[in-house]
Amino acid sequence: MLTDIDERVLASVNLHAVFGALPRLAELAPQARGLLALLTKPVTLTLRIVGGDSTRHVFRADGVTAGAPADGIRVTLLFRSAAHLNAVVAGTAQPIPLAGPGGIRFLTSVFTPLMDLLGGYLRPSEEALVDEAFADVSRLLLLDVAVTAITVVANDDRSGRYSAAQMADGDVEISVGDDLRYTVRVDDHRLTRIAATDRPARAVFGFLDLRTAGDVLAGRESALACVGDGRIAVRGYIPLVDNTSRILDRVGHYLGD
Amino acid sequence: MTIVAPVITPYTFSKSLETFARAQRVIPAGIPGHLGPTEGLHLPYDRFPKFSSRASGTKFWDVDGNEFIDYMCGYGPNILGYNDPDVDAAARAQAKLEDVVSLPSAIMIDFAELLVDQVTSADWAFFAKNGGDTTTLAVMTARAATRRKKIVFVKGYYHGVAPWTQKLDYPGVLEEDVANNLYVPWNDLDALRGMFSAHRGEIAAFIATPYMHGNFLDNALPAEGYWQEVRRLCDEHGVVLIVDDVRAGFRLDLAGSDAYFGFEADLICFCKALANGYNVSALLGKDSLKDAVSSLTYTGSYWMSAVPFAAGIATQRKLREIDAPALFERLGTRLIDGLVAAASDHDFTLVASGAPSLFYLRLDDPADSLLLHQEWIAECVQRGVYLTSHHNHFINAALTDADIDRTVEIAHDAFRVVRGRHPELV
Repeated sequence: MLTDIDERVLASVNLHAVFGALPRLAELAPQARGLLALLTKPVTLTLRIVGGDSTRHVFRADGVTAGAPADGIRVTLLFRSAAHLNAVVAGTAQPIPLAGPGGIRFLTSVFTPLMDLLGGYLRPSEEALVDEAFADVSRLLLLDVAVTAITVVANDDRSGRYSAAQMADGDVEISVGDDLRYTVRVDDHRLTRIAATDRPARAVFGFLDLRTAGDVLAGRESALACVGDGRIAVRGYIPLVDNTSRILDRVGHYLGD
Repeated sequence: MTIVAPVITPYTFSKSLETFARAQRVIPAGIPGHLGPTEGLHLPYDRFPKFSSRASGTKFWDVDGNEFIDYMCGYGPNILGYNDPDVDAAARAQAKLEDVVSLPSAIMIDFAELLVDQVTSADWAFFAKNGGDTTTLAVMTARAATRRKKIVFVKGYYHGVAPWTQKLDYPGVLEEDVANNLYVPWNDLDALRGMFSAHRGEIAAFIATPYMHGNFLDNALPAEGYWQEVRRLCDEHGVVLIVDDVRAGFRLDLAGSDAYFGFEADLICFCKALANGYNVSALLGKDSLKDAVSSLTYTGSYWMSAVPFAAGIATQRKLREIDAPALFERLGTRLIDGLVAAASDHDFTLVASGAPSLFYLRLDDPADSLLLHQEWIAECVQRGVYLTSHHNHFINAALTDADIDRTVEIAHDAFRVVRGRHPELV
């Protein structure tokens, strides 16, 4: 167990998992659709760490697409360092915007409210969770962020890489009930999130329902206790599940308070 | 082919599940550790009993009243049969005299003398309670004797749960706890030679089980000449050779599993089969390490309780009388042959590995996922044969040929059910 976190890994988690949840937010949250409806033309937003990683999202009135070809208004948010990006996500610093007037309007009237909305779903208050519809969206977004973060941490974090080094090749299915399936592929100790396929996974980590998934991912419930009483069902090549679970623990170090 | 397999009604576990829910309220994880559904891998969780109510011979009965032929043997301690009358009588007699007192009973010396006489490589015995107490003591002894830090492990090892035995990514384990751990593959002498050379003068000990009986993989016996070359390399590099015989001890050879494989360890750890379930473990070692182990601060409140020593003496004497390793070999082989044939009757391939007395099973699966194996194990458990899907099993001396016949009958029925679900997997 490492007791510290790596700023560069945290930046990757923020860049790929947290910002990466914007397309899913646009699909799930009614308020997000309302904000995107303000767009009269596409906006391509690039998030770039100076000398480091970058991502690109295209925002349209009907949704957000990750990694799509640039279209419409170009906006870049520049971060001086990984630590700067992390500070921006934590709300203690401001990014450096490179944008014209239309881009600035997008940042202030669409992007910033979208990020506030996302933050509300990823770190919900107890009161907000009373609304079951809100709670379900929150849980789905947490899952989305967590699954992507598993791959980032497994590939970039020292503890995550140690866990990944113990993993044989194969697909790990993370499922919720009978309807939701996420697949993480392990190939030569590198983890990649892939679209769910009909090919049987080598190992399955199955949450009984969305509530269980949300409670475990938010740290309100012990995964061990859930495995013990069947709310999490694991099966197949258990070392894959076991190491995924260890990586997920490490993800909690990055996404937790 | 016509398959004749009796249809056996599967057990249900309602009281077990109720009791587990009760446990979860006051005990972390309900049942922490390897006997629980999480580490014990009750897959799926509701097809396995959670709590036992009584045990006798080779069987136990769960809180629902279901009867099981038990091939886990308490994960090893049951070597003569639960409630063995001779062992229990010796323990009761000692209990009438004394158990935990301000001074140890001299029966501790009797037990040490017996073990030193019995275990080929041993000149002394140091008693504790659990296997992990002895592996930790062995590593501390090696470090004290060599004044070196590093320990070489075999990948896939298990030597207990002390922080030094765990891994970088385990909760509660610090990087510093495992900073001196080095790893080599099993049966790979080139890797061991390379490791010893790369860290010349830094390695205190090489620790390994007598053969690779790890979880989730076919168990592997040592290659011809492996242990003899390991012994030579350890001598050449001044490395203490520790054999963790906690799991295999006395099921292969009463003289120690090092004797079985034709070499002598410097330190050898015993626990599970030492006293037929009475709580005692022992580190045994060579004279050359007696001063080093004597110099350590290492003790526990119950480590010199006398009742387990009496039970241990009775257990070891009885194991000698019945030539237990030969009996285990015969029973284990008969069981494995029956299970493999039952699988074949249903067009499955069951792979048995390791020593027959500690057999490991894997139902071959085109997806190499263990899913099929887990299904079959769950069906066996629901019909009264207690197996696990991830761990080696254990033979005990109370097992009878009739128990084996019944086990094979149940295995047939379990294979029939699994085949019915997967007609495509031929």
